[in-house]
Amino acid sequence: MNTTRTITFTLNGAPVTTTVGLHQHLVEVLHAQGLTGAREACAQGLCGCCTVLVNGIAVSGCLYLAVFADKADVKTIEYSPEGKLDAVQESFIECGAFQCGYCTPGFVLMVRQLLDEQLDPSDDDIKHYLAGNLCRCATYPEVVKAVKLAAKKRKVAA
Amino acid sequence: MTPFELAEPRSLREAAVLLTNGGEPAHAIAGGTALMLMMKAGVFQPKRLVSLRAIEPQHSEINVLPGGGLRIGAMATLRSLERSVLVKQAAPVITRTLKTLSNVRVRNVATLGGHLAHGDPHMDLPPVLTALGAHVRTLSPAGERTLAVGEVYTGYYETCLADDELIAELIVPPQTGWRSAYFKITTRAADDWPTLGIAVALRMEANVVREARLVVSAATNTPTRLSAAAGVLLGATPDAAILARCGDAAFAEVELVGDVHGSAPYKQELLRVYVARAIRGALVDRL
Amino acid sequence: MNAPTSIVGQPLPRLEARAKVSGRAEYVHNMRVPNMLHAKVFRSTLAHGRIRSIDVGAARAMPGVFAVYTGEDIRKLIAEPYYGPAFHDQPILAIDKVRYVGEPVAVVLAADVHVADNAAALITAQYDELAAVYGEVEAMNSRAVVHEVLKPAGTFADLKYLKDKRDTNIALDFHLRRGDVKKAFAGADHVFEHTFTTQQVLHLPLESFATIAEPGDGSLLLHSSTQSPSFVRTEIARLFGWPDNKVRVKVPYLGGGFGAKVYVKSEALAAACAMLARRPVKYALTLEEQFYMITKHATTLRIKSGVMKDGKITARECEVWWNGGAYADIGPRVTQKSGFTAPGPYDIDHVHIDSYALYTHLPPAGALRGFGIPQLVWAYESHTDMIARELKIDPLAIRRKNILREGRPQATGTPMKDAALELVLERLATRMQWDKGFDKGTGTVKRGRGIAIGFKASISPTTSMAIVNISADGSCALYSSTVDMGQGSDTAMAQMVAEVTGIPIEKITVVHPDTDVTPYDMATLGSRSTFHMGHAVKNAAEDARDKLYALARDVGLSGETTLIPDIFRKKYGMLAGNIVGVGSFIPGYTPPNADGQTDNATPFWMIGATGAEVEVDTETGEFKVTRLVNLVDVGKPINPAIMETQISGATVMQLGFTLQEQMHFTNGQVTNASLADYKIPGIRDIPPMENEAVDAEQRSGPFGAKGVGESGTFGVSPAIANAIDDAVGVRLTSLPLTAEAVFRGLAKKAGRELL
Repeated sequence: MNTTRTITFTLNGAPVTTTVGLHQHLVEVLHAQGLTGAREACAQGLCGCCTVLVNGIAVSGCLYLAVFADKADVKTIEYSPEGKLDAVQESFIECGAFQCGYCTPGFVLMVRQLLDEQLDPSDDDIKHYLAGNLCRCATYPEVVKAVKLAAKKRKVAA
Repeated sequence: MTPFELAEPRSLREAAVLLTNGGEPAHAIAGGTALMLMMKAGVFQPKRLVSLRAIEPQHSEINVLPGGGLRIGAMATLRSLERSVLVKQAAPVITRTLKTLSNVRVRNVATLGGHLAHGDPHMDLPPVLTALGAHVRTLSPAGERTLAVGEVYTGYYETCLADDELIAELIVPPQTGWRSAYFKITTRAADDWPTLGIAVALRMEANVVREARLVVSAATNTPTRLSAAAGVLLGATPDAAILARCGDAAFAEVELVGDVHGSAPYKQELLRVYVARAIRGALVDRL
Repeated sequence: MNAPTSIVGQPLPRLEARAKVSGRAEYVHNMRVPNMLHAKVFRSTLAHGRIRSIDVGAARAMPGVFAVYTGEDIRKLIAEPYYGPAFHDQPILAIDKVRYVGEPVAVVLAADVHVADNAAALITAQYDELAAVYGEVEAMNSRAVVHEVLKPAGTFADLKYLKDKRDTNIALDFHLRRGDVKKAFAGADHVFEHTFTTQQVLHLPLESFATIAEPGDGSLLLHSSTQSPSFVRTEIARLFGWPDNKVRVKVPYLGGGFGAKVYVKSEALAAACAMLARRPVKYALTLEEQFYMITKHATTLRIKSGVMKDGKITARECEVWWNGGAYADIGPRVTQKSGFTAPGPYDIDHVHIDSYALYTHLPPAGALRGFGIPQLVWAYESHTDMIARELKIDPLAIRRKNILREGRPQATGTPMKDAALELVLERLATRMQWDKGFDKGTGTVKRGRGIAIGFKASISPTTSMAIVNISADGSCALYSSTVDMGQGSDTAMAQMVAEVTGIPIEKITVVHPDTDVTPYDMATLGSRSTFHMGHAVKNAAEDARDKLYALARDVGLSGETTLIPDIFRKKYGMLAGNIVGVGSFIPGYTPPNADGQTDNATPFWMIGATGAEVEVDTETGEFKVTRLVNLVDVGKPINPAIMETQISGATVMQLGFTLQEQMHFTNGQVTNASLADYKIPGIRDIPPMENEAVDAEQRSGPFGAKGVGESGTFGVSPAIANAIDDAVGVRLTSLPLTAEAVFRGLAKKAGRELL
């Protein structure tokens, strides 16, 4: 029974070749690579802590078999080509949109995808988009503010 | 999770063959979001999985059929349906339903075929597609067949699909003259499994209902047609009195299952009220 | 140069903000160390039973399994492997008996976490089933007894009075007697009596429990997601019979705590496994497993009040039964410390309280954001409105009439001091525009509004220590064992150091708890850190500043006007040396007498009130909270931005407990142990909210501040229930408040009964 496979993918811009158990999910493999910004929390795709971008699309890393990332472009919260915070991260800090910080990477990645799709999201758009991100500290009002601020910052930059 | 083998066939046909023809019994995996939950919980411990992710790309396509219907490949992600202009034009109720279904990340990965084959009675599209009169075309080594979506479900997490039978595509008939709505009622969090799902499709001539399909889900083992309630609407203009009769008929014709979302008697009461509301919702579809 | 700034009171971003938004903040659940084994637990499937046998053969035989241990293996390592902050009642792994479904019975160690998990699933156990008791009231006189013998821990000063007991489920009974309740009831115009219940819920921090234990030579290093590193060290050392310094506990950030991660949780099993295996062991729980670790007490509360025609409350009798589950954890403290506020923030001459901590065969209950207060406020503030409604007195007016005013004695006899109860109530009334007309809705949508106010004592006597270390270059480190679990303590404490020393906050680091490095702190709980640790930090910073100034004087400089590096350079000829300031704090406290009376029950009072507006759909019973107004007295906030986030976060957490969350059980087995089936609030569940800290000062607090983290929880549940009653005349007395319960109430009023 062959239950492992060697996969090759791009991780935050750099090539990675690694052998994974076919039953391992993407977050496990990222942790083995020393990246812990994506975290398994609810283990059910509901909380968003495990958010990873695969080929530019946000997925729940804990529900995504690592083998499916073979040949894919994988980006995590740690991806920062210019070595500085982006508008979303800055806005989260300025609005105090997190407390314990465990869920924050997932929120940041989802908000980036939201703003890529919608320049000027309404409250409803924001809530619809972030319905799959849970924050037990309940910093939701601040998150909504941060998304709006980030949208503004992006417009100014553009 | 327990270790397993993985096959990655290049065609749907090959996949169907591999399901029974590879030694250990196998299970198909597409997006895997639902399957992963079951594997992580240990309630599903496959020895072999057959991934559908490398099959022909046309199985992810969304096309408009002559006459205005839709043909949607089973490997289309729920997110691609949600964002499809073609779907929104042909059957906006599908677009609206998708926005309430799980969350963006899951919809990014989960496929239509996986959603329809899962058999969980809390799923949102089966009642909607049943109301729309949609069909699935399936493929197995024994051949192809076409089934009404409503026929797929035979019980709680049970479908009529054979072990080596895969959903290839969904056909949604033209919705010209039809108006539809789906009401997902949650009683705890806003984002929760439905306590009750109610799908309505009405063919209207002026203000008169000529055909009606009413479907209740989530509180029944399978999406269930409300024929008596639909019967009340035929030939009628749905005013307050008709809607009340319709709710009463629904209340009387189906027995709902209680759970942590609500007791059975309470769900019956919700059904009575929400059948009427869903019909009102359908009447404003496309307006 | 080093003149005081005004950095306290500034809404600064968190010190660790950049690390958190870029995914680089460290949490134990994500840590790994070389050569590490994973521990996965096999749990009891029975609520109460005598263990006949445990079959670990198949698990042991699985390739990749390093070891499988049961309670008997633990007992070979530790003769008395029982722990707990109040009673030493909880075994590391079940011994002889299991006492709740989910109790750890055996553990598998493997390098591959999947192997450990799969092997644990192969373990089986045989039990002789024993009768179980689940209800807290039933447990009072149940023939099913959870523990035959109870041994008090004797660790904490405030719990020294716990006694050895036999054959009872009552871990603690607290009684308070003030005045003559019987006589007052006889003389009252009206007597009202109501019973309320709350359901079992749980904390669910998104970072679940996790400990990595690294064995040394007769020593242990624990990386743990804990709110109480000092206690963990002492308790683990006690278990092994070691001096405290053989156990080192390090704590990075916590992905939430909320009271779950206090005392010993994942640490004892991880430590025992590491010592047995002689390898580092990581015991990290899944979110599902949190349902078997620690929860919030379900309660039954009976309140009886004697009231005069004008609404003056003359007497109150409270009976509170706390469902503590199978192990006491800190339940006895909840029972007493919160129990004595059961009559509410009202000036009542005659008071009688009986509060019982009870064992049952359910998962253990402990402290959860509010330490029992939300359960009590739920009861007494629902009761207040029910009285008002009955007497046709306005809900605000009856509260105004009875509210405890500054200086008046609370039920314990302790006078209220710096407790802005009146101000909080008045600000709430103003913000709710209570005196203005209110749109009650039309047709099938009815509207209502309600208010509620609660208060809480702090925990005493408890000790905090801090060290402030100024380096020669003028940078500074604060050493404290306060755990930043999201409440922003690192930032608040650094602000205090900056305020005292004049060192810019960018030059201050906060050294995270490491019991070999950071000094003792009782724990991060009960909103105590700002006040208790705040004092210790302030004292340490003042000590450091004074020593710095003395050093400057020694070398003929002015500490006030000279740059710090210049002072050191002149003293040591180069940038060398340190200034180390130390500080400690323990507040005054008088233990209660046999009648629960004391002149000093608490170093400060926390006040929280909520106003709610709701819309009720009379066809379905569904309701929507359309507005929540939260008022608190937190003294002078150290960081107003973080303070407000804490208030609204606490409110939303309690909103979840009010409307959505409930552990469901069948024969003691929780049946909804996942976020799919146990619904915590999401972004679409948040009503429009307004938060306000009233203009107040805790004069005995550091910089006028006091605790913040729990006050937002107090009034939420009763305010919403009161609003529902205002809207449709349906009174709910059980949490959670569900649409179905409202619908049933409406049906009943209409003369219809739902089956």
